[in-house]
Amino acid sequence: MSASTFAAPSPAPARASHRPLPPARLRFTGVLRSEWIKLITLRSTIWAWIVLVLLQVGMGVIFVLTMDAAPEGGPLQQGADAGAADAVAQTAVMASSLGILLGQLVISVLGVLVITGEYGTGQIRSSLTAVPKRLPVLWAKAIVFGVTSFVLGLIAVAAAYAVTWPLLDDRGYTSDLTDPDVWARLVGGAGYLALIGLIAFFIGALLRHTAAGIGAAVGLLLVVPTVLQFISAEWATVLGQWLPGSVGQSLFFGGDVFEPWQAVLVMLGWIAVLAAPAAILLTRRDA
Amino acid sequence: MQRASCDTEHTDARTKDAGTRAMIEATALTKRYGAKTAVHDVSFAVRPGQVTGFLGPNGAGKSTTMRMIMGLDRPTSGRVTVNGLPYAQHRSPLHEVGALLEAKAVHTGRSARNHLRAIAATHGIPNRRVDEVIDLTGLHAVAGKRVGGFSLGMGQRLGLAAALLGDPATLILDEPVNGLDPEGVLWVRGFVRQLAAEGRTVLLSSHLMSEMALTADHIIVIGKGRVIADASVADIVASTQTFVRVRSPRAAELARRLGQADVTVTEVDPGLIEVRGLTADAIGDAALGLGVALHELTTVQGSLEDAYMNLTRDEVEYRTTVDPGAAAGAAGATGADAGLEAVAR
Repeated sequence: MSASTFAAPSPAPARASHRPLPPARLRFTGVLRSEWIKLITLRSTIWAWIVLVLLQVGMGVIFVLTMDAAPEGGPLQQGADAGAADAVAQTAVMASSLGILLGQLVISVLGVLVITGEYGTGQIRSSLTAVPKRLPVLWAKAIVFGVTSFVLGLIAVAAAYAVTWPLLDDRGYTSDLTDPDVWARLVGGAGYLALIGLIAFFIGALLRHTAAGIGAAVGLLLVVPTVLQFISAEWATVLGQWLPGSVGQSLFFGGDVFEPWQAVLVMLGWIAVLAAPAAILLTRRDA
Repeated sequence: MQRASCDTEHTDARTKDAGTRAMIEATALTKRYGAKTAVHDVSFAVRPGQVTGFLGPNGAGKSTTMRMIMGLDRPTSGRVTVNGLPYAQHRSPLHEVGALLEAKAVHTGRSARNHLRAIAATHGIPNRRVDEVIDLTGLHAVAGKRVGGFSLGMGQRLGLAAALLGDPATLILDEPVNGLDPEGVLWVRGFVRQLAAEGRTVLLSSHLMSEMALTADHIIVIGKGRVIADASVADIVASTQTFVRVRSPRAAELARRLGQADVTVTEVDPGLIEVRGLTADAIGDAALGLGVALHELTTVQGSLEDAYMNLTRDEVEYRTTVDPGAAAGAAGATGADAGLEAVAR
């Protein structure tokens, strides 16, 4: 294969101004770069990220400002007994993580849009022309979106922690980032955002339609758990515990149903169950 | 407007292939959507170094065929290869084929430059090349603007820019002049002619014969999902025989006397005949010899448009190749008031 050979536009003879381009080759790293460019060059992404961070910080501040002061002789900074330290950590984590309950909706909408926006505008045909094997587009999108969502989740949670720390300190709750209970849950919250975002992303990849995708993703988070609560059968309770939204809460609020590592596995299972048919349909359907 | 140019080795390598090896080969390509057959058993070959026109009425299956070449639609049966391999199997697809299948297959919220950067990134094509194709297609002034606000013409230019990113050996352009202003139409014509002159393969679709006549060297006519004709423009021109319109009070007598091998005389009206196979000079001389008065003697140049209309009118009868005799016969029969047709053999 010869090198790319368009001359730079100039009236001079082609060869005089000619600088050969490096050989073009389709690579997965290139597809990753392409998806990164696509993600950050849309205003919706930037807005979603800003809203995510603001919600996280805002919810933390509201939580702290509306809480009762620590009871006298309660879990103060010197609190030596395990129960008191635990309560401090719980409160700090709660203040930093509460926003996730809203942030998950933002990240889910963004996850759906990342893929259905391409179908809605016809961009997908440009994308699949450049990467005709198709699947690399899906995986690269998932990786770029998953990693950026995790990083943004970390930024949001860290910002909320930083802003609420002095407020909590005033009220007698002095938490410590070296406390594994604190940082593990903060990271867990960021991880939850990435995982729930990927679930929404693959729902979007399956449905290929923005309204349907957002409806399904948000419905899975908000509507399905509510409906299941009204069914007083054992299976409904169990199913409710296994929904991604409730599973994921053990990652940042803690819970007695799943250990954090189990919660991650269950959510990865949800992703796999959605990603497999999405991948098969992507290769089979006409674009 | 700047032009793309190609270095010598590149061109040489490609021109050597010209005429010998087909770059795009479709074999028994069929696409059904439910009960509707969009493309039916289509086979053709597109060669490098020339512009091949893909011509047919709207809905004939041109776009579906092009989408199958690019792997966007799966053929129901049959196969199509580009440079010997299905498009998706190439290691550097954008360097093999650049395609403009629809204007604005672009996210409306992204700027033109960012759209091109994202496509270029997949193949590690540098931003320098992105700027080149922006200049080449005259998008410089709007490269930073979001595509949502683009006119159809600007969308076409952006699609063309994207198609050129990988410096492809083959270009597939679906109705590229749609929505372009006259200056843009002229530019596209010159541009595709030049790309072909560089040894590239160009497949260009249109529903306008006039557009093809100005741009293409070879034409594949498709109608109702089938290939109706596959011939060089020269052959198609030859098939649209020129005829001579003769008006005379004694036209019937003249018609009988002119009858000889390779001459076709069609009586359109009493007193008006159309003669194929003789020049106006020869007819005038013959009339003088017979003492027949002529009231009109006009040479009428058959147009490609006519040939196309004839070809697409009945895609079953004329589906293989353009046979001059068949086309002439068809032309004769098309007169709305076609009367007696005298064919002397």
